[in-house]
Amino acid sequence: MQETDVIGNGVAVVTGAGSGLGRALSLGLCAEGLRVVGFGRDAKALAETAGLAKGGPFTAMVVDVADFAAVRAAFETIKSKTGPVTLLVNNAAVYPRRDILAETAESFQETVDINLGGIVATSLAALDQMTETGIGRIINVATFADIAPIPTSAAYAVSKGAARVFSRALVADLGDRFPDIVISDWMPGMLATKMGIPDGLSPEVSAKWGVRLALWHDPSLNGAVFEQAQEIQPPQGLKRRILNKVLRRGSAVARRLD
Amino acid sequence: MTEASEQIWDVIVIGTGMGGGLAGRRLAENGLSVLFLERGPNGARGEGQGLNPMLADPVARQVRGYWPKPMVARINGRDSQFFAPIGAGVGGSSVFYAATLERPEPHDLDHSKDRPHSTGGWPVSYATFAPYFQEAEWLLHVSGAPDPLSKQPPSKLAEPAPLPLGEQQLMAGFQAAGLHPYHGHSAVRDLQGCKQCLGVKCPRDCKMDGRSAGVEPALETGRARLIADCKVTEIKGEADQVSWVEAEIDGQIQQFRARAYVLAAGALSSPRLLLASTAGTWTQGCGNGEDLVGRNLMFHLNEMFALWPKRDLVFEGPGKSLTLRDLYHVKGQRFGIIQAMGITARYGEILHFLTLAFDRSVWRHLAWLKPLLRLPARLAVGMFGDAKIFVGILEDLPYPENRVLMDADDPDILRVEYRFAPELLARRKRFRWAIRKAFKPWRHWFLNRGPELNFGHPCGTLAFGTDPKTSVLNPDCRLHDVHNLYVADASFMPSSMGVNPSLTIAANALRVADHLTQLLAKPGSQKD
Repeated sequence: MQETDVIGNGVAVVTGAGSGLGRALSLGLCAEGLRVVGFGRDAKALAETAGLAKGGPFTAMVVDVADFAAVRAAFETIKSKTGPVTLLVNNAAVYPRRDILAETAESFQETVDINLGGIVATSLAALDQMTETGIGRIINVATFADIAPIPTSAAYAVSKGAARVFSRALVADLGDRFPDIVISDWMPGMLATKMGIPDGLSPEVSAKWGVRLALWHDPSLNGAVFEQAQEIQPPQGLKRRILNKVLRRGSAVARRLD
Repeated sequence: MTEASEQIWDVIVIGTGMGGGLAGRRLAENGLSVLFLERGPNGARGEGQGLNPMLADPVARQVRGYWPKPMVARINGRDSQFFAPIGAGVGGSSVFYAATLERPEPHDLDHSKDRPHSTGGWPVSYATFAPYFQEAEWLLHVSGAPDPLSKQPPSKLAEPAPLPLGEQQLMAGFQAAGLHPYHGHSAVRDLQGCKQCLGVKCPRDCKMDGRSAGVEPALETGRARLIADCKVTEIKGEADQVSWVEAEIDGQIQQFRARAYVLAAGALSSPRLLLASTAGTWTQGCGNGEDLVGRNLMFHLNEMFALWPKRDLVFEGPGKSLTLRDLYHVKGQRFGIIQAMGITARYGEILHFLTLAFDRSVWRHLAWLKPLLRLPARLAVGMFGDAKIFVGILEDLPYPENRVLMDADDPDILRVEYRFAPELLARRKRFRWAIRKAFKPWRHWFLNRGPELNFGHPCGTLAFGTDPKTSVLNPDCRLHDVHNLYVADASFMPSSMGVNPSLTIAANALRVADHLTQLLAKPGSQKD
């Protein structure tokens, strides 16, 4: 498909590329031949990712996604040095386990600045380039943490929940105007990473699905949500279900990434 | 860069649709300094939306380059409110058009004994327009084949992409039945990967419109500047001269000055801006001494019909190329062109049209009957397969009581009064009868029962003519009594012709721009 080629031949930005899922996604995209720019706060960790990359080149950039001016400057640099960004994977996040009584408004806001502010800053900077041609792909690594917050996860649950609303708001503003800028949410699952659980899924396994989704540039994926390898479809109201029955339209089959 | 409001421009162009865009381009390429003032947004270049009449929020509409507020139309005395297919952004409505650029016929403009013109003929002849039609066709990269019925020398058009097989076969079928189909004239350059953006904004520069063939090349000259999101609210002046225009930017009123002004806000908004301009002696509105501004509003009537090709034809996607002029002018009657609409009607579309027809019928209050419409729709598809939708365009004629009005309470509302003239309704009947007869060999079906106005084709509201008592503009499209104000949109047309208006708007804009260039080149010809 032609559009996929555009994404495949363009420049990808992965945030939080120094460890865990971000590293696995970066390596996976490089293996597909993409030019990947990895954002992270730790130069040494990014250098390790670069050392492991095979295929397309990996460029490390020390950027804190909560530093909005630095994010804007980084995208300008990428555009002038490598080319316009066509794929953005918003992966960077922090998960401080902290009792709400131990939070201050400032510490809470710090988490929001990274988990929500970071996505807003990178998305706007990337869209600035994508809307010129009308072609692009944005994947937001997401979670269900907002649905039933567990203890000591307030800032994480709130900011990641808001990030999902941000995805939907992006689609509301852009979906009809830029059908070829395709925005999807992806829940990678519980991973065996620093942020995850010891007996979780290997990030390499999960990243395979993420890479497949990132390179899948179908306008019908705008606003789609995937959990691990499977699409989660929005619940259908009674009216819609009856209409489908009457018109003999089967309900759509959930798409898969494996 | 100096502030645009501090400079005296050669020409200020108000509106950047097909007319304003092409006029501004020609003026800038002729060496003049040009300032475009556009009420809507510039929009990102990669946008690809079509018009959406269901989107009602004015802020969201404006962002998308749609006219933000509804049209309130009093039709035969009954008010209805809806979103008309009118754009408000750089490129105007033309960025949403289907890029059909057909030439009118000589009798659309000229009066003759065999083909009398209802208005006595335009003040400028077809022969004078002809070189401008040709230039507009070149600037807009029009491709297509000559109309086999035309007696005019064929225009030099770009070679069109070959017709898909199904279209070729349908064309041969039309020819066998004695009709004269041809490959219609279109301003879509078939660049690699072209998505044929008919009805939607083109994210690249395949589709030629007021933006891609007007504003953008004008800006490339370095002599033009564009201010978007800039709503001109009033033309200020006295007696026979415009002194400046006032525009609202971010809630602030600013003034802009030029040696000459070109009004190209569209046939609905150009007259409304003149009506709102009541400075000095213009008590009834600028140029409105004879109460003609906004009158003689015309739309085309659309006669849409589904046509089922013979079963064995194979179509690869919808084609929009088949065009016929067999019914353009029949036995002294003005009808119009017939075009494929680029829509293949399947079950869902047929059901939709049936539902619309039902909603207008005497049965409309019996909602429980509606599901039964699925039966005929399913039968039609089961028996005949997919249909091609065609549209016959019927010329509308000028009547002074049909007009666009300025709503002082909310200037963004497009207020329109329109009555179907008995003459028009009678002609419509005959047009439908002629269509039925011409397409008899094919199963076909009219999709609209009542008369359907094409609100995307308004024109005639500032007609040009030689007599200041019966026209607003002189033959150069200058206001009769205001020496530095010109009009370059569909307002100038004294009759609506039997074709889509875009090519004629573009050609006239070039003509106006050339006239203005000559005039401004003469030293001392304009009082600065």
